[in-house]
Amino acid sequence: MREKVVGLVVCVAAGIFLACCPFFLNLYWLRNLTNIFMFAILTQAVNIIAGYTGYPAFGNVVFFGLGAYSTGVLMVKFHIPFAITILIGITVCLFFTLFFGIPVLRLKGHYFAIATLGLNEATRAIVDNLSDLTGGGMGLSLPLPTGDVGANNRFFYFMMYGTMMLSITVTYLISKSRFGYGCRSIRSDEEGAESMGIDTTRYKTMAWMISAALTGIAGSIYAYWMSYIEPSAVFDMTIAIKSFVMFLLGGAGTVIGPILGAFFIELISTFAWSYLLNYHIGALGLIIILVVIYMPRGFIYFLQERLSLRMFANSINEKRI
Amino acid sequence: MASSRNVDIPQQPEQKRILSVHRLGSGYKPLQVLWDIEFSLEEGEWLALLGTNGAGKSTLLNTIAGLIKPFCGEIVYQESEISALPVHERVRLGIALVPEGRRLFAGMTVRENLMMGAFTQNDDGKIAGQLQRVFDLFPVLKEREKQIVGTLSGGERQMCAIGRALMSQPILLLVDEMSLGLGPVVVDGLLETMTAIKQEGVTLIVVEQDVNTALIYADRGYVLREGKIVKNGDAKQLLEDPAIQKDYLGYWKGVEKNNK
Repeated sequence: MREKVVGLVVCVAAGIFLACCPFFLNLYWLRNLTNIFMFAILTQAVNIIAGYTGYPAFGNVVFFGLGAYSTGVLMVKFHIPFAITILIGITVCLFFTLFFGIPVLRLKGHYFAIATLGLNEATRAIVDNLSDLTGGGMGLSLPLPTGDVGANNRFFYFMMYGTMMLSITVTYLISKSRFGYGCRSIRSDEEGAESMGIDTTRYKTMAWMISAALTGIAGSIYAYWMSYIEPSAVFDMTIAIKSFVMFLLGGAGTVIGPILGAFFIELISTFAWSYLLNYHIGALGLIIILVVIYMPRGFIYFLQERLSLRMFANSINEKRI
Repeated sequence: MASSRNVDIPQQPEQKRILSVHRLGSGYKPLQVLWDIEFSLEEGEWLALLGTNGAGKSTLLNTIAGLIKPFCGEIVYQESEISALPVHERVRLGIALVPEGRRLFAGMTVRENLMMGAFTQNDDGKIAGQLQRVFDLFPVLKEREKQIVGTLSGGERQMCAIGRALMSQPILLLVDEMSLGLGPVVVDGLLETMTAIKQEGVTLIVVEQDVNTALIYADRGYVLREGKIVKNGDAKQLLEDPAIQKDYLGYWKGVEKNNK
């Protein structure tokens, strides 16, 4: 109980601190944090489908690309305001999941992972070839946001921050809800879940839709933020791999774990990059290997074990006194 | 429809027919496992399904529960044809399955597992009552309420699986391989509890490898072999049937003579 209160206080404090950051951090760090928030959203979205529902959606980055291209194409070709393009991007992702989710979610484990990868590659190829609409391999330059640089950076900072908070809230609500229990039972034993009367197809599809929508929002914001997108940058498998690493490192199937994972990897990678320019990929890889060896279940479980050990020790001491 | 074929079952007019299976064929496409299955079940009965490995017992239970779609034939439950219904709708109608190998939700506590069984229920008061009933039937689950199911013993896991199935307030409870991997004392305890469940009016179909105990507790038995029903009748009669004794119980009058 006390651990939960401590955890909650730490999380709220961290949230408030991050909301205050734009008022004293320089633009370099603001940009870094915005990038971290983006990965936190992607990781949390992976967590909903892979961590809670047990379907390793390896190609989830397809929704990032769809969101980015929805915003890009609509803003450039149809001059639709940014806010509306986000909503349309979400809708595109939802329909995509609804259409492909029902057949693809019949696959399990590795087969599902590979199928989602295929979906991403196929979508990338389509976007690449629809040159008239998407600009093809040349990419798409979005209209630059007006106003001064600082204000724009803060705008994107708060957009990503808000979406990250939304993703955490959604995950928290899922973890406490009947829907979340349904998802967890599917992860644990799908046939068992089915014989308990859970409509597994519906639950899986819904979980993936939530995941897709969050990823899509991140893609939309990214497109406007970068103001230039190309298929190989937004349908990029490295984004998928990174968000998976963060998700596993942070703690699968927990609310805060994936966020911690995203912060850890991105911060370490930033430091490694700025201090060990020539070796940074190697250093990053080494750190990941060490973390996987010493915290195989992820940060959050590591912290929990440590915390509960300390609590346990305290309770013994109290009894002695 | 199916009643005309079941001439061998004595009909008692006050009992209500709860399930009848008519010319059922089922299996795993393209492999057909069950052929021409024909049986029926009255309310409050305990039916034992017997047969060797691979005879199709689990396939039959899974087909009734809806996990497997039948190839042909009818499943009539409470006077309506259900063979096209998905599993979750059948659970709502009161058919609950205790799957082979328990299939508990590993990362969840005993209480969470039990609550998963009430997934199709909406009335919180009824769910709480049902939980109490399960705890009354299996007091050990109350003690283990907060434990992760992975920490339970085999017998406790089976109790949890049966308890979970009971949480949906079933009318028809299907239990697959009840004694799988359990010691005789635990099995006896479980069978006593099952008797109590039956007395509360739940109709039971129990798949058992242990033919002797299965037939002592059951009202009637069906014997499956190679996907077909080869024998059926009153449990006591089956227990005394020389062929059953020879095939499943390992004793028949000629044994000693042959050895000498």
